[in-house]
Amino acid sequence: MDAQFIISSGLIELYTAGLTSEKESQELEAAMHQYPEVAAAVATCQRNLEEYVKLQSVSPPESIKIRLLDLIHTYPLTSDTAITNADIPQLTKTSPMEQTNVLSVPETKGVSWKWIAAAAAVLLIGSVILNFFYFNRWKEFREYKDKYQSLLLSQNSIISKTNEYKTRLEKLTESMEIMENPKVMKVAMPGTAAFPTAVATVFWNQDDKQVYLKVNNLPEPAADKQYQLWAIVDGKPVDMGVFEMGDTASLLQKMKITGKAQMFAVTLEKKGGAVSPTMEQMYVAGKIPG
Amino acid sequence: MDYHVTYTEAELVQGLHARDQKVFSFLYDHYSPALYGVVVKVLNDHAQAVDVLQDVFLKIWRYADQYNEDKGRLFTWMLNIARNTAIDVLRSKAYKLEQKIQNITDDVHLNGGPLTVYQSIDHLGFSKVLDKLTKEQRTLIDLAYYKGCTQEEISRALDIPLGTVKTRLRNAIIQLRNILNK
Repeated sequence: MDAQFIISSGLIELYTAGLTSEKESQELEAAMHQYPEVAAAVATCQRNLEEYVKLQSVSPPESIKIRLLDLIHTYPLTSDTAITNADIPQLTKTSPMEQTNVLSVPETKGVSWKWIAAAAAVLLIGSVILNFFYFNRWKEFREYKDKYQSLLLSQNSIISKTNEYKTRLEKLTESMEIMENPKVMKVAMPGTAAFPTAVATVFWNQDDKQVYLKVNNLPEPAADKQYQLWAIVDGKPVDMGVFEMGDTASLLQKMKITGKAQMFAVTLEKKGGAVSPTMEQMYVAGKIPG
Repeated sequence: MDYHVTYTEAELVQGLHARDQKVFSFLYDHYSPALYGVVVKVLNDHAQAVDVLQDVFLKIWRYADQYNEDKGRLFTWMLNIARNTAIDVLRSKAYKLEQKIQNITDDVHLNGGPLTVYQSIDHLGFSKVLDKLTKEQRTLIDLAYYKGCTQEEISRALDIPLGTVKTRLRNAIIQLRNILNK
């Protein structure tokens, strides 16, 4: 950058007015060292502004000078003894402090405000105590409510269990009655050669020809399979129905009716039963005695 | 208050460095109106300006060693202290830009506020200068010099493009130079 360029750039005016950035100021100061004409231009511009400032001079109150001379006399400073602003008593007190006085309420009004404040405080304390009391009550109530609900729940489960047992007992009684009936014939079906451990029993009422089945020992079938009871009438298998396993297996299960039969057998078939028995899957078989 | 004694610039600097109270008194008598004018112009608050002026002269006394003749005239240095101290106070008051502008608009010199009591001797001369600067030129110089506004702030305050601030300020100062050199 050449001196004339800097002088005509407007940078000097900005610098003098305090509008240059730190970087710009440093650049210009460097240029002032390098070019005396730049330094002179800066000085001229400075003087112009100073002239402008001087034209706006205002005489300060006399009291400041007396105060200042007193201060520098009391604190005969050398450059290393610092004086903080707090050490310098302020000449003038600005008005905010006085204004607060204006704002403060007159005495008579103050009394009534005191009463209101006291009443409010008492009410607040009362409210806090009551809140505490009711909160505790509420907490207690909440505990009882939880207990009540869990009791209700267990009560329900007990009732349903009881019902379950009742049905079970009824069924067992029914089974017992059938088994103890002298008109009912008992046909034991031991395991076949393929399934020697399997055992089941048929109860056959000779009066109404109703057939019942009791599982003594049969393995649980796969989900898609079901056991089926067959009656062998005159050498031909007759479907007597499929039956359930699981919990039901311990009870006497009502099957179909048959007037005649020489033999009973159980095979494992697809779910729902088959039209004719799968002989390889015969688990138990028993002949009618006599 | 030894008005009969006059000092050269070098003697003043030397006296200040030596913490000569007579020199200090002389500096005060000769420069306090100019410095007070700056502080009042920056703060537009008389009560505060008194405190700040006192602070300014204590700084001059305390930091005399920091003055370096190579960097400019003693008056320039003192002026900068006054201006910077006052602008610091202005900023610490957390003045918003709007208030700065308000202060410029309410300028005592423009509409003759309560400060007329302290009117300077040169007021007639100043009026002549004011007449020849446009209001915008005065506001530009004042916002930059007295209020420490940045170019961005001036651009917003006067609603002129940022790039124009520089040119117009330059023109304002050139105009000022022409008036003063007449």
